[in-house]
Amino acid sequence: MDVLAWPLTVGRALDNHLVIDDPFVAAHHALLDIGADGSLQLSVLDSVNGVGLGLGMGLGGSGAAVAHLAAGQSRVLPASGAVLQLGNTRLRLRLPDEVLAPERALSSALPGFHVAATQRRHTRSQLWPWLTGLALVAFEAASHWTGLDPGADFSAWLPLLISVPVTVVVWCGVWALLSKLFNHHFDFSGHLKLALPWMLALALTQALWPQLAAALAAPVLWQLTPLIMLTLAACLIRAQLSHVLPGKRQTVAVGVAAMALGAVGVSVANNFRTHDSLSSSPYMSTLPLPALRLGSTGGEQKLVQGLTPLAAQLALRAKKARDGEEDGDDAAD
Amino acid sequence: MCFTRHASCASRGFETNSVSVFFVLICTVLALAAAAVAPRAVAAEALSAPADSGKSAASAGQFEPAAATAPAVPSANTNTSANTSANTAATGPGQRIYERTRPRLLQVRTLLKTQDSQSSVGSGFLVDEAGYIVTNYHVISQFAQAPGRNRLVYVTVDGQQGALQLLAFDIVHDLALLKPLDAAPLAGRGAISLRPADEPLSRGARIYSLGNPLDVGFAVAEGSYNGPVERSFLDTLFFGGSLSAGMSGGPALDDQGRLIGVNVAARRDGEQVSFLVPTNPLRALLERGRSAKPITAPAWAEITRQLMAHEADLTARFVKLPWRAAGHPRYVIPVPQEQFMRCWGRGSPQNSRGLQFERSDCEMDSRIFVSGSLLTGFITVRHEAYDGSKLGALRFAERYSASFGNEFTGRDDRLRTAPQCLEQQVGGTGLPLKAVVCMRAYKRLEGLLDVSILVATLDGAQGGAQGRLDAFGVSLASAQRLSQHYLDGFAWTANNKSPAPKPLPTPTPTPVSR
Repeated sequence: MDVLAWPLTVGRALDNHLVIDDPFVAAHHALLDIGADGSLQLSVLDSVNGVGLGLGMGLGGSGAAVAHLAAGQSRVLPASGAVLQLGNTRLRLRLPDEVLAPERALSSALPGFHVAATQRRHTRSQLWPWLTGLALVAFEAASHWTGLDPGADFSAWLPLLISVPVTVVVWCGVWALLSKLFNHHFDFSGHLKLALPWMLALALTQALWPQLAAALAAPVLWQLTPLIMLTLAACLIRAQLSHVLPGKRQTVAVGVAAMALGAVGVSVANNFRTHDSLSSSPYMSTLPLPALRLGSTGGEQKLVQGLTPLAAQLALRAKKARDGEEDGDDAAD
Repeated sequence: MCFTRHASCASRGFETNSVSVFFVLICTVLALAAAAVAPRAVAAEALSAPADSGKSAASAGQFEPAAATAPAVPSANTNTSANTSANTAATGPGQRIYERTRPRLLQVRTLLKTQDSQSSVGSGFLVDEAGYIVTNYHVISQFAQAPGRNRLVYVTVDGQQGALQLLAFDIVHDLALLKPLDAAPLAGRGAISLRPADEPLSRGARIYSLGNPLDVGFAVAEGSYNGPVERSFLDTLFFGGSLSAGMSGGPALDDQGRLIGVNVAARRDGEQVSFLVPTNPLRALLERGRSAKPITAPAWAEITRQLMAHEADLTARFVKLPWRAAGHPRYVIPVPQEQFMRCWGRGSPQNSRGLQFERSDCEMDSRIFVSGSLLTGFITVRHEAYDGSKLGALRFAERYSASFGNEFTGRDDRLRTAPQCLEQQVGGTGLPLKAVVCMRAYKRLEGLLDVSILVATLDGAQGGAQGRLDAFGVSLASAQRLSQHYLDGFAWTANNKSPAPKPLPTPTPTPVSR
């Protein structure tokens, strides 16, 4: 409301200048007055909840209270304005000589933008998601084909024809629902465009990375496959979550990274418990295609001699287990 | 290389597919035969009666006639026929042997220290006038591993009971030597004499096995002597009679009541296929055990020592034997000789559209019982040869890798650590191979390992072979020897060797024309 005269009384009673219908506000809650030097003074009258004070916040500020005034206290408010929290009601005070923040550009993810920007979009960017989608379907089909025996009839393809579209649609549908919840806009196509490249990346990695590791005879690379897949999945989730919560990109990034690290930690701990190593497969099981065999070939001697330090390691582990059990046995007896 | 989509893999459980019932039957038979716990182990569970038999100790004697047993003079009657004469006055050999041997026959029980309930039951017999008692190791294994928590008790045919001490054992041959704490109740009972080694028994002779099957009561089981088991690493005698659980450790006697062997095991998937430990290992055990002190601490060190000696012998004999040819047209795949192993083979069905394969499994009968959950001291070798010519290179590669990954190498459990593997591409004799060696250490048996050597050929785009050798309970040196021996067994066949590089042609001097 416009303030036309000072002092301004704020409260729940009807004889105040500014009536606030909030049960957490006192009958006569606060008084705003202008001092002799032109500064604005806020005094809190007889109130249980007091007044929360946030200073100089722009639009969309989080409004975290900088100060809290109890009954009887007063404070001088700055010329840039203030946000007052009375009970459940937030009031923003704007003064004539307030310095305005510049206009902020709308992000492309917000609804309504695509209407304005349609003219700017090239046909190529419209084609890109389609190409990605086709590539994903083609790749999945190729993977499925390698699993089938020759002469398999059409019914063997049904699982693929049904599962790939359904998975993509359900995945993007759930995220679109979340968008609807937070942004009031069921943005299915937006999520689809975000999801398809990452899904393609996941499918490609799962099929090609182990082969690459096998061709180079690098078991370390091979053991990294689940980690890489997890990273790609985390990127996918981060992209989609940022699309749902556009104002909180940093929080989303940190949150997704934390979850991914947690997942890695849990899986590594589990692997240590059952397999005594970082990974759940003790050896690289993918065998390289003969044409792509680039890795080095060692002699049998090297392998056989390498068993000695391995046995020493195992002996240490066995000893540790034995000592642990003996302690238990002594306790039992 | 357990190819689950086209075969039933014993280690992975049974998977049905659309192939014929005949194929299913073959798999069932093989699963029973190849994956069956070895004769000794079947016995381990079978011949030591279950703990919850519910019978009290005194009931052991309730089926016995009250007649006093007078030691009889060995009868001159050499009739070894199983059919006793119709004359009621004359008694058959089985009755005579039982009457004479009855005082020397015992039931050996393992009881928990704090309760009277038995955890393991077997048979035993007096082998010496001084009161030494023989039984199987697997009957007293729980006591040997935890003497503080168990106690051994004997029960005679006429109901006498007393505590036992463990003096010595031979885990490889599954024998144990015991002595009663108080020798008085067993004094004057005599002993079962051993048949001299220079008097071999002929195949088909009647022998009588005594024991207490399933804690039902002392019994005599008649059967034929069928000589030593062929293709067995350890000396074992084949007894053509029925041995049930609880008869482990009992004596098997010839028609004159002399000891031929000690009951040890039976094959549950056959009928009247049972096994005895011959007398030679028993003599050796008696020699060293007579003066031994009773065992009062867990005997892991001694168990380990005996297993080490066994595995050294096994590895030495195994490595000395040359590999057999598998008959593959392209590769030389090592298959062990059938001297102490038994091999089974099978192939994919004829009209299968997908991957064709041929599989071979070679296993040893002799497995050493260490405890109810641990059999060790043996080697198995198996391989699969694949033909993917009906598929393309990509499809074959996918199935080939899947098969190589479908190998169970174990997890961390109570007995052994988790497997640690070393892998390398080797190209020794010209054939490029992927070799993986995985080892697990035994937690209780210091210095013993389980080693699995997995090998896959890498040169074929539409065919290949994968092999696996498993050695259980071997030392590091043996593991290294076996790895070397197995890897050396892979090569190209003579007519498929990659052509040697041709020497460069020597330039012929061009004649200078005049």
